[in-house]
Amino acid sequence: MATPLPSNHRRWVLLLVAAQMLFILAVAAAGYATTAYGRVVTLRTLPVDPRDLLYGDYVRLNYTISQVPISLWQETTLPRRRQAVYVVLRPAGEAYEAVRVYAQEPTELPADQIVLRGWIEDRYRRSLHIRYNLERYYVPEGKGKELERKGRHHNMLVRVSIAPWGQARITEAQVLP
Amino acid sequence: MSRKFLETESPKWVEQGIINAEQQQRLLGLYPPDEKAIGLLPLLGSLLVGLSALSLIAANWQGLPETVRLGILLSALAGSYAAGEHFLRRGNHSLGIGLTGLGLILFGASIILVSQMYQLIGYDVTGLVAWAVAATALTYLYQSRALFIMTVVISCIVQGYNTGQLGAFSYATAAFTALSLGYYWWRHPDALLSTVLAIGLLWQAGLLVSFLHIKITWFFVGAMLIYTLGDWQNDRPAGRAMQGPPIAAAFLFMLGLAVFGEAGSYTDMLRPPLLAYLAALGAVFGLSLVAKRKRGRLGGATDWLLLLPGFYLPGGLPLAIAALVVLYAYTGTLLWRAHQEQNSDRVTLGTVLFILTTAVAYFKLTWGFMDKSLFFLLGGVLLLGLSWYLQRRAAQTLASSEPTDKPRS
Repeated sequence: MATPLPSNHRRWVLLLVAAQMLFILAVAAAGYATTAYGRVVTLRTLPVDPRDLLYGDYVRLNYTISQVPISLWQETTLPRRRQAVYVVLRPAGEAYEAVRVYAQEPTELPADQIVLRGWIEDRYRRSLHIRYNLERYYVPEGKGKELERKGRHHNMLVRVSIAPWGQARITEAQVLP
Repeated sequence: MSRKFLETESPKWVEQGIINAEQQQRLLGLYPPDEKAIGLLPLLGSLLVGLSALSLIAANWQGLPETVRLGILLSALAGSYAAGEHFLRRGNHSLGIGLTGLGLILFGASIILVSQMYQLIGYDVTGLVAWAVAATALTYLYQSRALFIMTVVISCIVQGYNTGQLGAFSYATAAFTALSLGYYWWRHPDALLSTVLAIGLLWQAGLLVSFLHIKITWFFVGAMLIYTLGDWQNDRPAGRAMQGPPIAAAFLFMLGLAVFGEAGSYTDMLRPPLLAYLAALGAVFGLSLVAKRKRGRLGGATDWLLLLPGFYLPGGLPLAIAALVVLYAYTGTLLWRAHQEQNSDRVTLGTVLFILTTAVAYFKLTWGFMDKSLFFLLGGVLLLGLSWYLQRRAAQTLASSEPTDKPRS
């Protein structure tokens, strides 16, 4: 059965619970900081199969940068599934498009370009399927039905904040007319 | 001896004059009634209350403002830890630990829900590693087996998510789990915890092998390192329990090789560079032998027969036969030792494994050459005969182990 608890037990419990609560607050703070210090890039989505769109409280998004030509791959060895990659984006019209894909984080980028991290989902003969973990948009209160209705036939523009330390988050999603 | 047994049997003993009524009461007093069943009801009750609150919140979750959601998560977390501490101080151990465990689950859920709330992307497992660290700290703080098991499970989840979703292996998580939980197990040996820890470490080793894309047989160097830990453990039941999962893994692997070894399609995943592999495995073998010798249990070294690298033989029939030879070498010596030690549990285990091996061998070596009905008939007869013989041997062994009781009857 239970061994007698040491005398300073309560203090340790308090410390541990406080640390856990602080950690959760820090996660929330990371969310605000990413918006506050991040650079906003706009990504364009492709129309999604309507049956596929709304999953409970989130919308599934498929971006134009989710499929990139394999010619963008900058390394000598072929990419492996689930490998982490660094995708360099450049503004092209109203949205950003992918220009290069690296296995290691590139240094020295032109000012108009920015890195978004992702993972190789699949490798085809001519293209790479990349997952950014931005594919789920947790819909704010009550917007789900509206997005689902409009997103069926239209592309969407999704604004993503990318913090200088690499953290990214969706800040807004809008349906193009 | 259980109290229930005493309660039903002791009136007869009084009747027959073996003990008197007062001695019966004193015997019963040695085994106070178990209070575990009483502790279960409040646990179930609080579980139901918690579930109703959870479904109410979950139904309205998206509609709540962010700060309210954050507040709910934090207060639920603090509340369950506080309640757990409260009940532990009142001496209600199971409820207290249950609530503390709930707090731990809420911590993990909060990390995930808050990062969803802010649409944050997890690029590494830092957030989830914090969960595993908190679980370990709680295990040490409360010295609880339930929390230990939760910690093993959590670190398995964290590492699984890391390799599966993020394409990385967290060496820090693996090392932290092995060292912190290993040290806890070392100081508080326990058979159940050993098995759980061994399975958890095997899982980490397996994920590492798959992440590094190295030959799958390297897995057994890690597995046998876990086995060797069991050799060094002073507490024998805990040590044995630690060795169960690695040996089971090696046995199943060999069995798989014996059954599917001919396919040859995956045999190129089996053979690491011979010298490096043998050197690594040999080093672990040496460590294991030193421990076994120190504790006078060199006979247990026959477990290592399962690790004979028969898979270096070319694919096809030679590989299957090599695997069968390894399996027979292991089960045969297991049976032989069990009979020598007159250990009934191990005789049973050895018998089952020996029959299993024979079934595979028969299936493997005769399926192609024999008419199907004859195959089943002969196979059935072979297995029946074998089990009859082994059971007779087991009965003889056990009978000869109790000669002192016999002469009286």
